[in-house]
Amino acid sequence: MSTDYTDMQLDAMRELANIGSGNAATALASMLGREVELSVPRALALPLADAVDAVGPADRTVSSVVLPIFGDIDALVLLLFPTEDAATLCGLLGVEAGTEVGDSAIGEIGNILGTSYINALASMAGLAIEPKPPHVVTDMLGAIVASLLSQTVGETDSALVLDTGLDVADAACSLSFLLLPTTGGIEEILGRLGVGGA
Amino acid sequence: MKIVRMGELAVSTTPEDELMTIGLGSCIGVAVVDRARSVAALAHVMLPEAAAIPDAPAGKFADLAIPALVAESERMGARRVRLEAVLVGGAQMFDVGVGSTLDIGARNAQAVREALAKARIPVRAQETGGRRGRTMRVHVGAMTVTVKEAGGREVELWSGSPGPRRSAEAIHR
Repeated sequence: MSTDYTDMQLDAMRELANIGSGNAATALASMLGREVELSVPRALALPLADAVDAVGPADRTVSSVVLPIFGDIDALVLLLFPTEDAATLCGLLGVEAGTEVGDSAIGEIGNILGTSYINALASMAGLAIEPKPPHVVTDMLGAIVASLLSQTVGETDSALVLDTGLDVADAACSLSFLLLPTTGGIEEILGRLGVGGA
Repeated sequence: MKIVRMGELAVSTTPEDELMTIGLGSCIGVAVVDRARSVAALAHVMLPEAAAIPDAPAGKFADLAIPALVAESERMGARRVRLEAVLVGGAQMFDVGVGSTLDIGARNAQAVREALAKARIPVRAQETGGRRGRTMRVHVGAMTVTVKEAGGREVELWSGSPGPRRSAEAIHR
């Protein structure tokens, strides 16, 4: 199974991330009543260790929400919040960060944003996919990303990571969105988008 | 300092050196040392076994990483009979997963222990399991292994020098 992608395939994946996170940004904006800006998405096809590094400094402590996706493809949606930004977000929602309520608020935000993201992805690529309940973990970024990649890439030596950032206007609050498909999942998505076959 | 990233392996005989893996989640950091010759090697193991994969990275799979650690240590002057091991990592950070890949951490720890037993290398200290990510450092000159969790303090897990052998045993869950 090939893990080298053409520019056209990476563009297609980037567009998918753009539409998914655009949909998530709209959901976040209406939840907070603030404008939300979207960064230019990255589609990173990299050797595993480089993929972990590309997401950010391995020793940075972050809050994360993971939503496993199952159905026509298996994938993990990962939302990453710098710890201070998770606190800001909790503040905007009127709950205290670092508490059970704060964690559950972050989990719920992750759930809503993750679901909007994959709904857009499903309709664009014509996939029947559903999320499982979200899971919230605050830990080292490198440990989070590496643990999830061990689940999705298996024996493959490279990973495809789709990465977008969302910024909440006037609140110094940002989060990033990652889609980690299994290697088989990537082939399936590319096929559905009409750019399959390496 | 040498950073050993996911799937990688490094060896050193330089006393000032540190071998380090940042953010071990379900992965396992396996240190193999020969104290008498001041040889230390570290692998960052990601999965239990390589199913006949050609050109697999040396450190990625437990079943290939242990023989590779032994070979690299011997190449740097270590004696096989003196090799000792320290393990860190193998956490289960998420209850969720894709497919049947739950708890890779525990399977990694098991596979590393089996591979070490097969190579007749005793495990002197280990901190595996639990739910937290860890950073592991092997200080080549001092022959110590330290562990740090996110937001936590750096703790000495094992000291191989000087004086009599000490060992620490801390297995979570």
